[in-house]
Amino acid sequence: MKNDVYIVAAKRSPVGRAPKGQFSAIRADDIISQVTKGLLSNLPHFDYSTINDLILGCAMPEGEQGLNLARIVSLMSNLPTTVAGMTLNRFCASGLTAIELAYQKIAIGSAQLVLAGGVESMSRVPMGGFRSTLNPDFLLDPTGKTLALGMGQTAENLAKQWQISREEQDQYALTSHHRALSAQQLGYFKEEIIPISAHQNKLNLSNLTLSNDSVVITNDECPRTDSTYESLSRLKPVFDVKGTVTAGNSSPLSDGAAMLLLASETALHDHNMTPLARIIGFHTTGVPPHIMGIGPVEAVPPLLHRHGINRNELDWIELNEAFAAQVLAVQKTCQFDPDKLNPQGSAIALGHPLGATGAIRATTLIHGLKRIKGRYGLVTLCVGMGQGIAALFERV
Amino acid sequence: MSKNLIIKRVAVLGAGVMGAQIAAQCSNLNIPVYLFDLANSKSNNKNDITTNAIEHLKKIKPTPLGDSTVTQYITPMNYEDHVHHLQDCDLVIEAIGEKLEWKQSLYTTIVPHLAQHAILASNTSGLSLTTLANQLPIERRARFCGIHFFNPPRYMDLVELIATEMTDSALLDELETFITTYLGKSVVRAKDTPNFIANRVGVANMLFTLIEAKKYQLAIDIVDDITGKKLGRASSATFRTADVVGLDTLMHVVKTLQDYLPNDSFHSHYATPDLVEKLISKGALGAKSGEGFYKKEGKAILKLDPSTMNYISSGDKANDNVQQILQLSWAERLQAAKYSNDPQAQFIWAIYRDLFHYCAIHLKDIADTARDIDFALRWGFGWKEGPFEIWQQAGWQTIAHLIKDDIDSGIALSNEPLPDWVFDGREGVHKDYESWSENQQRYIPYSQLAVYQRQYLPEKVLPNKDDPIQLGTTVFETDELRAWTIDHDILIATLKTKMHTFNTGALESLDKAITEAEQNFSGLVIWSPETPFSAGGDLKGFLDVFSSQGSEGLMREEKIFQKTMQHLRYSTIPTVAAVAGYALGGGCETFLHVDRRVVHFETNVGLVEVKVGLLPGAGGLTTLARLCGEKAQQLGNPRESLPLLQQFYKQVMLSQVTNSAREAWQMGYCQSGDVLVPNSKELLFVAINNAKTLATSCYRPPIKSTFPAMGKDGLAVLRQLIIQWQQAGMMSEHDAIIGEAIAQVMCGGEVDTGTTINEDWCLQLEREHFVSLMGYEKTRDRIKAILETGKPLKN
Repeated sequence: MKNDVYIVAAKRSPVGRAPKGQFSAIRADDIISQVTKGLLSNLPHFDYSTINDLILGCAMPEGEQGLNLARIVSLMSNLPTTVAGMTLNRFCASGLTAIELAYQKIAIGSAQLVLAGGVESMSRVPMGGFRSTLNPDFLLDPTGKTLALGMGQTAENLAKQWQISREEQDQYALTSHHRALSAQQLGYFKEEIIPISAHQNKLNLSNLTLSNDSVVITNDECPRTDSTYESLSRLKPVFDVKGTVTAGNSSPLSDGAAMLLLASETALHDHNMTPLARIIGFHTTGVPPHIMGIGPVEAVPPLLHRHGINRNELDWIELNEAFAAQVLAVQKTCQFDPDKLNPQGSAIALGHPLGATGAIRATTLIHGLKRIKGRYGLVTLCVGMGQGIAALFERV
Repeated sequence: MSKNLIIKRVAVLGAGVMGAQIAAQCSNLNIPVYLFDLANSKSNNKNDITTNAIEHLKKIKPTPLGDSTVTQYITPMNYEDHVHHLQDCDLVIEAIGEKLEWKQSLYTTIVPHLAQHAILASNTSGLSLTTLANQLPIERRARFCGIHFFNPPRYMDLVELIATEMTDSALLDELETFITTYLGKSVVRAKDTPNFIANRVGVANMLFTLIEAKKYQLAIDIVDDITGKKLGRASSATFRTADVVGLDTLMHVVKTLQDYLPNDSFHSHYATPDLVEKLISKGALGAKSGEGFYKKEGKAILKLDPSTMNYISSGDKANDNVQQILQLSWAERLQAAKYSNDPQAQFIWAIYRDLFHYCAIHLKDIADTARDIDFALRWGFGWKEGPFEIWQQAGWQTIAHLIKDDIDSGIALSNEPLPDWVFDGREGVHKDYESWSENQQRYIPYSQLAVYQRQYLPEKVLPNKDDPIQLGTTVFETDELRAWTIDHDILIATLKTKMHTFNTGALESLDKAITEAEQNFSGLVIWSPETPFSAGGDLKGFLDVFSSQGSEGLMREEKIFQKTMQHLRYSTIPTVAAVAGYALGGGCETFLHVDRRVVHFETNVGLVEVKVGLLPGAGGLTTLARLCGEKAQQLGNPRESLPLLQQFYKQVMLSQVTNSAREAWQMGYCQSGDVLVPNSKELLFVAINNAKTLATSCYRPPIKSTFPAMGKDGLAVLRQLIIQWQQAGMMSEHDAIIGEAIAQVMCGGEVDTGTTINEDWCLQLEREHFVSLMGYEKTRDRIKAILETGKPLKN
């Protein structure tokens, strides 16, 4: 009964630094609708009314990202009104879960073509949202208490429990920057990025004029050419006075979006589309919230096992870098080949726009596999409040 | 020309250490500033020099900035692009480097752009104002003078005003008025002589101290032990002060004396001492280069050993004999020092002999009255008493003859005899209301300028300590409080307790004063002639009551505290707090309960009860809960107040204290309508006038009303904060217990968000949680630690 599901196109925006970076003046819906339009315009034209749904992940779906963002984006992307839209939230895995949901719809035959992706403007909708509150009574409960921890504090817990030193974390962060910068210089991100044009209104109060500049943003903003081991090791811990997790070995706050087009075999045939990859499967699980970063350790093995794939067969692994401590803790168990793990850097260097990240990592993976002509690729993320998610792709 | 001196905007020329900080002090006090320096043609931003100087203000300690936003009132400019903007400035303060050619060339550039009415004033510390005036076109000279600030300008009181012969005297009066009321400084008029008054005497005194220390072979830490607090001077004393000022800067001042005072009989001593020369030549310029007379190594402070030029461990104190001498009154102290065989004691006599000798000889040249010298040293160097005050207290004629003996026997630093007036049978230079002017050969009263009418208790030289001036008429007086009046219209309540803490007696007296004011006066002002405003509740009293009478006793005390504060808020007459210095804990709660706060710029207010394991229990938290509720009513949704709740909660939990009055507005403890007062000496005047204004403006007390509670949503966000702070190692388990209690009160308890509550409900929660916190041993340990060591205990 199960249909094979393919990825026909995968595009993302560049990532900006939040809250004062290149996208600080642009709304999330403006970013993702430009990515969506760019993705479609890069494909040979087809009848867009054959797209059944648009599923969008967003971790803080309120304020400008509120209401039903996906439906709004569908309309803003000039798609026919028949293309529906739903927004979903699994925090950092939202973008990947959107792909999973699209995959399921196609697999069981309830859709043929689905757009799926994620978006987040941490510049404009802060982490934690505007007025969200946890249940005050549950906060008196030992489990409830673990929900109150900041993400950095959960990384401190991992560093302690898995005995990961400050030095290892800083060294890892530096590698992430080096890899990202090198990939940037070699133009490896070019194919996956849709340049975003942004209007920046500049108000000059000394002569009371409002000018409107239009800029086109093409590059990721977060990789730092000036990072050195020394500069990283000078930073003070931010989540625990005696801790080891710093702004330098954590992923920066960021803005960005990604969109993928998923298709059934029938749709490939009908529209004469060439797929980039086939989706093999997903696995999602929960872990204790106070060590949320360990999520991949619980999500990856069952997935590999289910599909009979050995970790040595993986040609490319995107293990999202929420924190260096978290990647290193996962690595202690998962033992991925370090050369194949985040070969172009990950969130520490490239940014982590929460709800978009899962879709961004999948996009990078698919283009990476294509370039190195690899076969199997894995995307895995940890998720706030304690979850892990993993997804397997095969280049076709 | 208008009747009023209008100063809408100040320009400061030169963004160096002094210029930038003068600009900062103006902006602290709501005076917008254009800060000018050279254009940096090499940079993309031609204002580089000024922008960097403004940025650098944020890094200076102690901070010159009143809060994080004031730099926005300083506009960076450069002479190349913006000089025409000078036409918009009413007062232009020049504070560039001390080179005549530089100033000359700058004046040529700027003068054509000055508004006709503008005042041009130089902050020069060394150059002659007359020489500078001569660089200006004749028609500008009447509106030119010297305005000499002291470093750091925010914290040093003194401003010397220096006229030239051409300066319009009315202008100087207007400027003195402006500086006093709007910049909050204390003005001394100085003559146009090298280094003016404070630096002339202060730096000469420093040189003499170095010379005498060498003569008596005293180690530098011993000299600093003697010449600091124990002699009523700044705790940095002599060598540490030199290090802080910078040895090169100091010697620049000395060079001025050397160059311009060839006929001074002390001239041979106006030279860089060998030791200082050696230090400067090896680049040890003091604090800024890491070493000078002292060197900080890790946590240890090492002193220079002049014989080897190495740094060795420091901390030596003067010997016991000298310590005893330092305890004596001036009369006994100087006599004992003079006749002692102990070199350390002889040193004390020697430095005062040199100082008196110097001041007596130079009084005529440098100052109009002896009072000006004494004030200049008090306000510019932080001395408790000026040289003439000390001399007079020590016995004028006796000391004069001892000095004469030393001059005659060649021990003094100069052989110039004391002037004749010293021996004319006088008992000193200061009388109750006037001081000696050698120039005019008569006693001259205090300044009659109208601005000083705003100071009910102006600073006086040689105050009679045994019989302090009792201002006004006493209405009633208890052991803890004096209720009195100046005008029989406004009642003034002045606490008499140590640090103006509130014990039960003080509270009952305050309550009585409020009733008295309600019955017989138009308003009430709470004011003390000296800081702090109040250090808070009487912790020892709380502890004693709890140990002898338990929770019930403490609950009774709490009710008295709350009742008095409520009376303050809901009395039928306007209540005004005139606040300077610390207003902590209960002091802050008093601050929060009056109708209007009249606040000196240097005010440090905060709810710091967490440090002693308690919560603000006199209505402080209730006030914060009410403010959140009122904000919510304004915004139409209780949840809109959650960020304000979080802000207040952080302030309380982290015991945040404002670094200036400006921050009291930022932190929400001051409200619109409250008044910022630059000069603490004008505080009472402004407070009384505010009380009168409120009284004559149809004052009615607020009506007790209901407001929405932050409730369970509030508890959720505050509990989350506690968990995070604890995890981050910032807070202990006991802090978390206190944190939960404070959250309960601020949120109005376990009620749904938006539930209608009132102050009485919050006050009850406040009382219950306050008393329950006292039940914890860890809280009592914190209180004991503060009482015994003055330092908070972290447990």
